[in-house]
Amino acid sequence: MNGLKAYAKKLICLSMAACTALTMMSVTAFAEEPYEPYSYDNWDDAIPSQAGYTVDRTVSGMEMELDRLSDPADPLFYSEDASDSLNGARDFDVFEDSETWIADTGNSRIIVLDSNFKVKARYYGVTGTSSVEGIEQSADGKTSMFNEPYGLKITISPTTGKKTLYVADYSNSRVVRAEVASDTELILEQEYTKPEESLYTSKTFNPSKVQVDFAENVYVVVKSVNTGSVQFKADGSFTGFYGANRVEVTAKVVAQKLWRKIASNEQIAGMSRNVPVEYANFDMDKEGFIYTVTEVKTDTDAVKKINPAGYNIWDNVSGDEYTFGDNTAAQYDMTTKKSHSTKLTDIAVDDNGIMNILDYETGRVFQYDRLANLICIFGTTSSTADQRGSFTTPNAVETFGDTVMVLEGSKTRNDITIFKKTVFGENLHKAFEYYDEGLYLEAAPYWEEIVKRDGGYTYAHIGLGKADLKNGNYYSAMERFKIAHSRRNYDKAFEYYRDEWLQDHFTIIAVIIGVLVVVWLVRKIVKFNQARTYRLKHKG
Amino acid sequence: MDSMYDFSTLGWVRHVVFHPTEGFEDLRWKKQGSLKLSFVIVLMLFIAMVAQNRMVGYAYNTNTVKIFNVVPLVVQSVVYFATWVIGNWCICTLLDGEGTLKKICIYSAYALVPYIICTYIAVILSNFIILDESIWYYAFSYLGMGWSVVLMISAMKAVHQYTMPKTLVSILLTLIAMLLILFLAILLLSLFQQVYVFVYTIYTEILYRVRG
Repeated sequence: MNGLKAYAKKLICLSMAACTALTMMSVTAFAEEPYEPYSYDNWDDAIPSQAGYTVDRTVSGMEMELDRLSDPADPLFYSEDASDSLNGARDFDVFEDSETWIADTGNSRIIVLDSNFKVKARYYGVTGTSSVEGIEQSADGKTSMFNEPYGLKITISPTTGKKTLYVADYSNSRVVRAEVASDTELILEQEYTKPEESLYTSKTFNPSKVQVDFAENVYVVVKSVNTGSVQFKADGSFTGFYGANRVEVTAKVVAQKLWRKIASNEQIAGMSRNVPVEYANFDMDKEGFIYTVTEVKTDTDAVKKINPAGYNIWDNVSGDEYTFGDNTAAQYDMTTKKSHSTKLTDIAVDDNGIMNILDYETGRVFQYDRLANLICIFGTTSSTADQRGSFTTPNAVETFGDTVMVLEGSKTRNDITIFKKTVFGENLHKAFEYYDEGLYLEAAPYWEEIVKRDGGYTYAHIGLGKADLKNGNYYSAMERFKIAHSRRNYDKAFEYYRDEWLQDHFTIIAVIIGVLVVVWLVRKIVKFNQARTYRLKHKG
Repeated sequence: MDSMYDFSTLGWVRHVVFHPTEGFEDLRWKKQGSLKLSFVIVLMLFIAMVAQNRMVGYAYNTNTVKIFNVVPLVVQSVVYFATWVIGNWCICTLLDGEGTLKKICIYSAYALVPYIICTYIAVILSNFIILDESIWYYAFSYLGMGWSVVLMISAMKAVHQYTMPKTLVSILLTLIAMLLILFLAILLLSLFQQVYVFVYTIYTEILYRVRG
């Protein structure tokens, strides 16, 4: 018993010492972030890492010069009491790395910022008559006003070649496609409203996010519709649902399936149905794949990459081969000293296929490469004091050139935080870019820089190991893969190393085998002769 | 013919291992078998388990843990063996078995020898072969296991002078007895822990009172 206790004591002491050492390490390395950058090791434990991104600046309504909207002398003037700050903005989109379009939900307007994050345009509604009843019209009756736009998408229309805006007009129960006519005017092209078909069973139609593909099909995430996003053709006709999530297989679901087998119809009618969780948001990459994120905590289909046919590219049988967000075993936040559940709320895919996934609960952005390998994690929830790089209600994430932007839309704070890459992050991106293309040698110098800054970065060791493999340094490749705990890669390196070793030492091996064979033969012959002489002697 | 049974202690181990059907009968007939050697064999079993955990070729090692803990391995080798012996003795005393505790210990340990040796061979081999050649590694692992199971059945049959069906039934009952023993042991352990905590609390309480 004493032994056990001493053992436990030792373990506690050891872990405390380790914790202290780790904390001190990261504090000295980066004291600038309001959180401790971390990563995951081979055992899915959170380990301290370096910051891949750091806050460049935050832009609030004042810096956007939103007071121009209430200045009668300004061309962007709307009204005397137009709000000079954002209010609970839900979504934003970046147009050709130059303009930021913000759905200012609380103020029921759309704000456009130029590349310096100064206001450039504002829209309170679209010109044209709406087919939906009960929509507020402007004083002159020409414009139908927005009412809590939750999501937007800005793009160049492939048919008209004009700048076209899609707005998920949440409380007006419509999605609007509008041509951008001027800095203050949108012209209504098409409305997408609640499908009047039996397939659409939901009573309401509250669109929260909108996407459009190259064929101008419109995909709409609608609140409380869990059969996937609602898909419309360009002309506004309803075509169906797209890319629904699957039901996560839990013990409860399995048990219920068994009960259903033996229950009567009346009993089944009384049971609750197992429905998949709806996804919260999506984004499209430049190849036209749609990425979805699911806000409710789930291991199945938390993040999907779906092709035009609606199938998940990252399909996997068990549903947890690809993991996103914080690992279930490691949701302890070192900053706030609390446990969290992951709520992935938004995804942004840049032109290189790098995914930024925003966790609403923890305020963290998880960045993945295109093969869904975790690159880095940055951002945090607010502690008591508002600090740059921390959020209370992070609503959306976007990429703007090299930077990553997070839209914060709470009651007290409404701004955009712009993260820029650190040297570490720069190296990570270069390394992953080459690595994913199979250019291991080109990636090696960047991996080395990464190892200098974070010796525990698993992919760096795998990358360097693969470079070693290509260079023919099989033994050092083995060492690298051992550090990275990559058994498959180690095996490959070992195979080459063994071949090389056997070739190099072939002579000596052959000589040893030869000598052994000769010795064995000689012994046999000697024994045989002895036996013969013995026999002969006794005969004679 | 008589000279065949003049084995050294290790010679007897070799004899029983390579004569699965009558090896243990010979051992019993000649009243051979060393208790000391059986302890050494169990120790070797423990070392084999550690080796399989730590020294197996890296590509074969699925136990890459952050902190290596030897306690589960002690339990898996020494404690399991002890419970096997005690459980078997308990059961077979009731089922008219002829084996004594000492004999059961010796015979069981001897039966484990192929498993131990094959584990060592597999561990050494795994450092020289790649995953594509894993058939060799698993062949040795399973060979050792299967051989030891056969020997164990033969050993139990010989030591208690049972028929084959009775041997199998007694082994099954032994496994159940092992579970029971381990369950009770854990129960006892946690009980004593609580008693210890209780006594310790009283001790500290008194200490505080005395100090005022």
